[in-house]
Amino acid sequence: MRNKTAMCVLMIALVLVHLALLFAGFFAPYDPAAQNRDLSYAPPTRIHFVGSTGFHWGPFTYGMVKDFDGYREDQSQQIPLRLFAKGDSYTLLWVFHCKTHFFGADRPARLQLFGADAYGRDEFSRLLYGGQISLAAGLVATLITLAVATIIGTVSGYYGKWIDEMLMGSAELFLALPWFYFLVGVRAFLPLHVSPKETFLLLIIVIGVIGWARPARLIRGIVLSARTRNYVVAARAFGGSDFYLLRRHILPETFAVLIPQATLLIPQYIAAEATLSFFGLGISEPVPSWGNMLSTLQQYNVLVSYSWLLAPAGALVITSVMYWRLADRLHYWLQSH
Amino acid sequence: MRFLLRRLLRALLMLLGVSLLCFAFTQMAPGSFFDEMRLNPQISPETIATLRAHYGLNRPVPIRYAHWMLSLAKGDFGYCIAYNSPVGPLLWTRAKNTLLLTATATILTWLIAVPLGVWSASSRRRLADRFIGASSSLMISVPEIVVAVALLAVAVRWRLVLVGGMVSLGFDDLSLWGKVRDLFLHMLLPISILLLGGIGVVERHVRASVSEILDTPYMNAARSLGIGRMRLLFRHALPVAANPVISLFGFFLAGLLGASLLVEVVTGWPGLGPLILEATLSRDLYVVIAATMLSAILMIAGNFLADLLLIASDPRIRDGEAHAQ
Amino acid sequence: MATETIKANHSPLLRVCGLTKHYWTSGRVWRKRTLFTAVDDISFELSHGKTLGLVGSSGCGKSSLARCVTRLEGADAGEIWLEGVDIARLNSRELLPYRSQIQMIFQDPATAMNPRMTAAEIVQEPLLIQRRGTSAERQARTAELMREVGLSPDWMNRRITEFSGGQRQRMAIARALSLQPKLLVLDEAFTGLDLSTQAQIANLLLDLQATHSLTYILISHDLSLVARIADEIAVMSAGKIIELGPVRQIISTPTHPVTQSLVTSHHGFRVQHAAAGGFA
Repeated sequence: MRNKTAMCVLMIALVLVHLALLFAGFFAPYDPAAQNRDLSYAPPTRIHFVGSTGFHWGPFTYGMVKDFDGYREDQSQQIPLRLFAKGDSYTLLWVFHCKTHFFGADRPARLQLFGADAYGRDEFSRLLYGGQISLAAGLVATLITLAVATIIGTVSGYYGKWIDEMLMGSAELFLALPWFYFLVGVRAFLPLHVSPKETFLLLIIVIGVIGWARPARLIRGIVLSARTRNYVVAARAFGGSDFYLLRRHILPETFAVLIPQATLLIPQYIAAEATLSFFGLGISEPVPSWGNMLSTLQQYNVLVSYSWLLAPAGALVITSVMYWRLADRLHYWLQSH
Repeated sequence: MRFLLRRLLRALLMLLGVSLLCFAFTQMAPGSFFDEMRLNPQISPETIATLRAHYGLNRPVPIRYAHWMLSLAKGDFGYCIAYNSPVGPLLWTRAKNTLLLTATATILTWLIAVPLGVWSASSRRRLADRFIGASSSLMISVPEIVVAVALLAVAVRWRLVLVGGMVSLGFDDLSLWGKVRDLFLHMLLPISILLLGGIGVVERHVRASVSEILDTPYMNAARSLGIGRMRLLFRHALPVAANPVISLFGFFLAGLLGASLLVEVVTGWPGLGPLILEATLSRDLYVVIAATMLSAILMIAGNFLADLLLIASDPRIRDGEAHAQ
Repeated sequence: MATETIKANHSPLLRVCGLTKHYWTSGRVWRKRTLFTAVDDISFELSHGKTLGLVGSSGCGKSSLARCVTRLEGADAGEIWLEGVDIARLNSRELLPYRSQIQMIFQDPATAMNPRMTAAEIVQEPLLIQRRGTSAERQARTAELMREVGLSPDWMNRRITEFSGGQRQRMAIARALSLQPKLLVLDEAFTGLDLSTQAQIANLLLDLQATHSLTYILISHDLSLVARIADEIAVMSAGKIIELGPVRQIISTPTHPVTQSLVTSHHGFRVQHAAAGGFA
């Protein structure tokens, strides 16, 4: 029972995270691409409740002014935080044009919860938009892998004989290769500088296709054993076609494997996208992704002085840990059934 | 013996397959290969023409493959434009560094993780077991890139270890002990990152295998016969648990090689990782192929090593052939 | 070996001639695979409304023969004449109309039915596959079939895990009957049921045989059961039929040593040896 509640909590948490990222435009106070050279590498804005006039119920903040070798708060003006503030326009769900953000503050204050990057872009907003890309990459690549693996595994397990030997032999080959080296290798052969949309597609196809081998073997095992079950044999005796047998009796058995595999693959693929983007082989500027946001940390001074830019690492850890925990729990739950 | 031969055959077949795959890559739009080279002002048209003839782009595919394999066997891996040298020697130095890093990381990981896993599975103290289990799960869930960047940040901030590269300036002037010490200090950061990623995986696997074995009827029978805990563990349980654990080795190597690529780039360790990355970014595709092939060979060799270990440790496999007759 | 033709009033329902089935043992690439003959040149005939018992020890090829006859597997040689058509030669599309004529009941009803399906879905499945009737008509027929085998139609929406072994076997029979077959092959259908359930199912089958003029091939290693239900009996050993004849005759005077050992191992039978000891 405790396991089940843990699973439900995790699933709800994950769904909430994904929803928040889906509505990134609403939750992010600023446009992720809006540069502001005056605020380059600005630290996170502090939220105050106590000011020169005493305690306020509503939180407020100050504007940032460039100081000697950093920033200081301009305490002359108290700017309150607003809920459902009007800000930069964005498109909600890529369809609706909106201007309302979940929270915000008027100018000249800039409410940057996680500071700003080199170009003065709001790190928090970039985190949300970048999350869309990173998580989408993970999810879609997983779908691709599982689709390819299901097709190959089913063909291999159902038709058997030399097709099976050939396909499983190539699966062994793919498993023998160091996955990440291979990823970089394949990426090397594809055009380097293409539009961000194409890069994204390219990336998820490459990540997705390379990982087919292990789930394909699992699915092949299931199809193989399901094929010889008596009820499948009986259904064939009634005149059932291959397609019917697969659809009605065999493929439903694979769901028990596909879902845990998905929870395992998603965090791995998110990490793969992040790593590739970190190296400059994945999503490229100006489109944010958690990986390419971390790549500025390859510079010594950034790594040492501007620790708020580690935010994407935190986001990666949180999502990754949640997915892995879910995978674990799912594994225990399925084992006890 | 038969098992060994079969495994050897499989390893060779996989090498063949990998070479075919890499060859297929070289053939992917070979024209654009050289087109890109043509754009590079450092290379003269004559060089390109010689290279084209050299790689025999006009001959049919199987001949090209044979030619390519022959040149590989001779040690000619192509030409690296960025470093302006043939790929072979470049690869060797880098490969040695990667080997040093990965071999050390492998040994240390298994040296720590296996006893940890065994102890965790067999000890009666639930709290320690759960703590180790939770830490392993945590280590697995955190992506390598985050671990690398985080540890790098910590190391740089607090100046704990020497960061950047494999050796300091003036390395050659140091005494032998000085050299070792210098190397060691430089290795600390990359090894720590690799260990944090790897120990969790291995420990979990070991713990799972050992606890599974400990629960079996024959272990209970042995226990009821009064056999001591230590003897039970080392004489009866571990030899059986060895099989699934050794089988993990192949997957472990794959993950380690991938992680080492990352770690080498982040910490500046001059191994195959930074090489393949630079080559990718500068379109030095011959280097990419060679490095990929080399890493695949490393993996296949490692897998074969694991198979040898398996034969040595599991009598069922040694006798299996006899019974099959 | 001589094939004993059973004298019948009308032409036989099933005539099997020279049926052969080989299996290759899985071998390595460099080792030759050995050939294992499961069904070796078998011939027999079966008349309408009769029950043929097929007995023999494990591994003698009974199940393989059954699977070949029902076309669950393809035979390597021989003919299977079903009412004048050689179904051994037909491909899967041509075979479709004949599939409904022969049906098989398996040994373990739990594995013969998909545990995720309800009783109604299971019994209707053949009708669904062969696209007979509308959904409502299929429901009605399912209810009818369930009543016939002694199950209450109220249980139509239960999953098979909620049924007992005997009830599941009844469901399997209902399912097999849905296509109105002429021949039912019962492959160890009684093994795994307790004695009283066996008796109930046996009676059910006899009733159904009378009502629908069914023909049965009953495969079993339980000689006493076969003696009760079958009209003729065929004894198999190592892929061949070594004795074939009316049940009373074979059991009381077995001529082949294999048959003799089978009979003696079933207490309750007394063997009367043929005249000059041994077999003819």
